[in-house]
Amino acid sequence: MPRVGLFVTCLVDLVRPSVGFAAVRLLEQAGCTVEAPRAQTCCGQPAWNAGDRRNAEAIARSVIDMFEGFDYVVAPSGSCAGMLRRHYPEILKDDARYAERARALAGRSYELMSFLVRICGVARVDASWEGRVAYHDSCSSLREMEVRAEPRTLLSSVAGLEIFELSDPEICCGFGGLFCVKYPDISEAMADAKIADVTATGAQMLVGGDLGCLLHLAGRARRAGVALEVRHAAEVLAGVEGPAMGEAGKGDVE
Amino acid sequence: MIPDPTAFRQAAHEALDDPRLKVALGRLKTHFVQKRADAFERYGDFAALRDAGATIRDCALSNLDTLLEKFERNVTARGGHVHWARDAGEARQIVLDILRSADAKTVTKGKSMVTEEIGLNGFLEKNGIRPVETDLGEYIIQLRHEPPSHIIAPAFHLNKEDVAQTFRSAHTELPPERALDERSALVAEARVMLRRQFEAADAGITGANFLAAAEGAAVIVTNEGNGDLTRLLPRTHIVVTGLEKIVADMDDVSVLLRLLTRSATGQDITSYVSVVSGPGDAQDGPKNFHVVLLDNGRTALLGGETGEVLRCIRCAACLNHCPIYNSIGGHAYGATYPGPIGAALNPGLLGLAQAHHHPNASTFCGRCAEVCPVKIPLPSIMRYWREKEFEAHMAPKAMVFGLSLWAFAARHPALYRLGARVLARVLRVIGGRKRAIHSLPVLRGWFVARDFPAPQGKTFQEMWRAR
Amino acid sequence: MSARDDILRTIRARKAPALPRPARYRRVLDDDLAERFATRARAADATVEVLESMADVSGAVAGLLRARNMAACIHLPPGSAVAGLDWGQVRVLQTPPGPEDVAVALAPLGIGETGTLVFPAGEAAPASWHFRPGFEIAVLRVSDIVPDLETALSSLRMQWPHTINLVTGPSRTADIEQTLELGAHGPKALAVLLVRV
Repeated sequence: MPRVGLFVTCLVDLVRPSVGFAAVRLLEQAGCTVEAPRAQTCCGQPAWNAGDRRNAEAIARSVIDMFEGFDYVVAPSGSCAGMLRRHYPEILKDDARYAERARALAGRSYELMSFLVRICGVARVDASWEGRVAYHDSCSSLREMEVRAEPRTLLSSVAGLEIFELSDPEICCGFGGLFCVKYPDISEAMADAKIADVTATGAQMLVGGDLGCLLHLAGRARRAGVALEVRHAAEVLAGVEGPAMGEAGKGDVE
Repeated sequence: MIPDPTAFRQAAHEALDDPRLKVALGRLKTHFVQKRADAFERYGDFAALRDAGATIRDCALSNLDTLLEKFERNVTARGGHVHWARDAGEARQIVLDILRSADAKTVTKGKSMVTEEIGLNGFLEKNGIRPVETDLGEYIIQLRHEPPSHIIAPAFHLNKEDVAQTFRSAHTELPPERALDERSALVAEARVMLRRQFEAADAGITGANFLAAAEGAAVIVTNEGNGDLTRLLPRTHIVVTGLEKIVADMDDVSVLLRLLTRSATGQDITSYVSVVSGPGDAQDGPKNFHVVLLDNGRTALLGGETGEVLRCIRCAACLNHCPIYNSIGGHAYGATYPGPIGAALNPGLLGLAQAHHHPNASTFCGRCAEVCPVKIPLPSIMRYWREKEFEAHMAPKAMVFGLSLWAFAARHPALYRLGARVLARVLRVIGGRKRAIHSLPVLRGWFVARDFPAPQGKTFQEMWRAR
Repeated sequence: MSARDDILRTIRARKAPALPRPARYRRVLDDDLAERFATRARAADATVEVLESMADVSGAVAGLLRARNMAACIHLPPGSAVAGLDWGQVRVLQTPPGPEDVAVALAPLGIGETGTLVFPAGEAAPASWHFRPGFEIAVLRVSDIVPDLETALSSLRMQWPHTINLVTGPSRTADIEQTLELGAHGPKALAVLLVRV
């Protein structure tokens, strides 16, 4: 049985643990044993993207250390997986001790849904969820992790779920990490364009693979008075019930 | 309108509030993005073609000195002149001196971003020479005293009513009651008005899309034919070009041409591609041929961490696919080169103090790098500029402080776990029954136009341990 | 130190180690060249007519002008390669064409890949004549169509001209609202007469 180290991600840990538990359920159902190293905090992307090389390097080294020994490292996020897979080798390429280990970690790091489909061979899930759903591709999932078909494969196997494609699935939603707070008005315009695309499909729910994008879109929809349920795709696939982002309801985590 | 890149925030804000600009920007998707995609789908071999393109450009840049010298020898051998300009000021003066010694009073101009970069028109006008822009888009914005808003389509931010109004104000000798409702009428009018200018010009100034060293050729790519009328009818032709545009020979140009036209407008080739190798002969073409090679900060980037930007063939695909450019347009950047290429280039050409917003106003979505025909790693270069900004202590203090707190916590797991548990509970309480937070005293930028969905109240780590 | 010396010195100090020339990029097209030329030229808004021989050219030109309600009058430069044809009722002028006039030119080469006419400038083939008129009619022999630009240019190397104009379709602009209009500054229309012999 493959040993998977779950890279929880800082956003899931802090804001929406149900995504982490959904990921665990899916991975265990796929035949993996899952551990979540206690020392994990963040992948270091905020530091890296802000140009803080020193902290980005330090965090990368500690992530490499704590995920030593797992067959795979899986994150419910294209952005954090992308950091491990695409950027750690780049960040530590001049580090004699860690360069090779960074490359090794990169080779074992995956985004959750593409891991399930490509590595575990999962083609369908047993969940059911009545509803009309639009799927949001995050930029890092698309371009860093080349995840496109796999979430759709899995979501289309959910009984009762109708999936709608956005008219422009390839354009950024405007989250971009610190971008959304540095340039809030541009970020807002990009979110509005994405939300309009979602509502135009007639979907009541938006799902995606990256919590950052989803919190940004859910938060904007709420402020703009647009009724839209937003969940992480893992939650739907794992049949994890509970309120959508920014909503109260049955199954609220207490 | 004096472009000011430091005014980016305000300019972007105004652009977002401009409904007419929004309509214009909507055309980027249908006209540029879709056409480019269709063209490369038909071509069928984008990956191999862009590999070849990137390699050709890198090879040329690594031989830049020998190629430029070879180019100079070949141009001179055919009776042309090559001039070298270290900066904008030298380039402007060279052009002025050539025009004066040619006794040129009326001058026509083809589209050239480099002449925009060096502020040539304003300088010539101050010295008594008014160059008339002949590319239709450039002609229109010249009449309106506006800078271009896009590398390929300088007037794309305007609609036909704007153009009609501009022509009515400028072409006062034409009957005022004439109809100008149709685009075809506007184009026909420009054709007539500019033909007079072409015929009258003493000198023509163009840019060059490529330079070929082996043939001593400048290659000019247009759809209108204005570049050719600009250079063929007058006695003197001046090419002003960035020196990084050179490649070894016309075979290399042929590869890059396939990439340029498809990337820019979705065309397999433009209506006119002109390979110009010196002055004309007795009956035809200019008697005097000059090429001004402009440095203006390019050689300072050569061989450095951002050196790949010099591969750029100025197709504007990155602009067309950029979600930020698609939201705010080109003027907001306040610089000759907007969008992702601007974000990668401007901190090098203008300095970080001037251009720091450009690499920061990006989500690193990566679409630009995906479509770049010469594989410039644009987001990576933007990130490098952010690193330079951080090292130079130029990044905003509040952000740096916040990040240092975050990074400290991230490197101290026990402290982090404790802090996260507290934060999850506090934010849940603040979120209240609505389960959403309307504002916080930190990260105010989030709350300008968004709520924050409240955390579920416990961290994953604490719940995982409790299992 | 001159600007030239300064710039070259900086380049030499900074440039990356010289990379070797990459292998030639070639794309082999196996289409019928004439067919591909015609398809691509038409896609670029040129009209293309296939003629059996040069003897049919003057009649085809007269037909093109009649169809457009234009006067049967063309401009040919002195010494033009098609001056020797029997132009019959079509009046031939040797003055440079104006923006509403018609010019006829022989294209020594055509490029199949893109439907492009190759016009090397010469004494009897002034470059500006491809941009002055309102209507350009090009005569191209099928046997002169080569696959790509690289091949076309290599055949010009022995006598490299001061200007080579590659012409694909008429003049166009999309500068107003990104909508295509023909005849911005160069010819509003381009007709290609493809001659089999």
